[in-house]
Amino acid sequence: MQHQYWVTKETVFRKLGKKEDAYIVASDAELDAKLELFRSIQDSCLDLQRIIDKYQERICLLAQEENSMGRFLKECGKQDKTGAGNMMLGVGRTMSHSGQQRLALRMPLLRLFQEVETFRHRAIEDTWKTVQAMEKSRTEYRASLSWMKDISQELDPDTYKQLEKFRKVQDHVKMTKARFDRYKLDCLQKIDLLAAARCNMFSHALITYHNTMLQFATASAQAFTTVGDSFKDYQRFEFNHVKELSEIKPEENSTNDQEQDDK
Amino acid sequence: MSYAYLFKYIIIGDTGVGKSCLLLQFTDKRFQPVHDLTIGVEFGARMITIDNKLIKLQIWDTAGQEAFRSITRSYYRGAAGALLVYDITRRETFNHLTTWLEDARQHSNSNMVIMLIGNKSDLESRREVKKEEGDAFAREHGLIFMETSARTAANVEEAFINTAKEIYEKIQEGVFDINNEANGIKIGPQHSPSNASLPPGSQSSSPSSGCC
Repeated sequence: MQHQYWVTKETVFRKLGKKEDAYIVASDAELDAKLELFRSIQDSCLDLQRIIDKYQERICLLAQEENSMGRFLKECGKQDKTGAGNMMLGVGRTMSHSGQQRLALRMPLLRLFQEVETFRHRAIEDTWKTVQAMEKSRTEYRASLSWMKDISQELDPDTYKQLEKFRKVQDHVKMTKARFDRYKLDCLQKIDLLAAARCNMFSHALITYHNTMLQFATASAQAFTTVGDSFKDYQRFEFNHVKELSEIKPEENSTNDQEQDDK
Repeated sequence: MSYAYLFKYIIIGDTGVGKSCLLLQFTDKRFQPVHDLTIGVEFGARMITIDNKLIKLQIWDTAGQEAFRSITRSYYRGAAGALLVYDITRRETFNHLTTWLEDARQHSNSNMVIMLIGNKSDLESRREVKKEEGDAFAREHGLIFMETSARTAANVEEAFINTAKEIYEKIQEGVFDINNEANGIKIGPQHSPSNASLPPGSQSSSPSSGCC
């Protein structure tokens, strides 16, 4: 039962963040660095999941807006019988279409979302349990070291009773150390595996998103170019208020005009 | 068996340099190629004879792993001799000697005899630290130096016994106050009954007191 005293003491000290033996901390450096990696995977996966959710929601809204804008242009185009009306009709149609196509991006995103969720609930959760078990064994191991340190203060190998007691503590340290070493190895291996599995998951799930994105972007770019090309011969609108919308630089325009005037 | 003196030794050095194997070779005259990790400290004892006097060496074989450092520090107290061991096939164990030496000097009495040992001298083909380097380090820090092999037993006896001789000489010279157990020397039961009956407070500060 005496070891329980040391375990409790160690637990309280660790909870309070009391400064620990620098040598013991240093000997766990590799493990602590790996735990840092684990925490970063844990945090970044949660962040990523939230971001994917927000992203797909925004894509949805953007698609809706795009579609409405397209419908609005089409309606206006129908009423306007001039060249402008024709343009609005064309652009509106392309925009609505692009809005509908944009929704295709959600599918691979939702899949990625599910993959990340599964990853978090299975792989990360499982590793986290191992980390918890390791931390428990680490507390017990460090507690047994403190106990040993305490009993070492007055140790005389020629005094049978003291040596007996020391042997008891030594066996205890041996046991807790063996258990801690086992969990430590488990943790190191599991976290390495987790990091590799995460890369694997991304390379699979992101490829479909990447392809869909490429497809969508190419198709809508092409559609807009075609629409744009069909308006080449139309007269340009001169922007007086929203000047930044005019594509052609004003000086070019003005020189052209002047040339024309000269002629 | 009663002894004239008891010397407390500690063996220190990085993990895996062969501290426990040196002890095993010295006390049991055998070699174990695979040794369990030392947890805290292990003990060994052997009688030797110097100047026709029986001397008991009580040897504390400390754990080399970093996690035990704070624990092993409490074993330095009251040691008369220390064997500071490095592995001639691993340069880093030699590089850590300064830290070990500082540790030893800080936590023990100033008269402690320190023997520097370059172990695993049988592995000549894998040697990374030259014998001259060990020699130079020892000279620079005032230590005795030897290369040993716990496997072939080369120089193992000598390392332990030479340290004992050095301590014995220091006693003769009066450097050690042998009545003060903090020096790591105990007088055997049959040796000086008069001293044993003295109350602890009345220890003489004269260095030669109680000495043969």
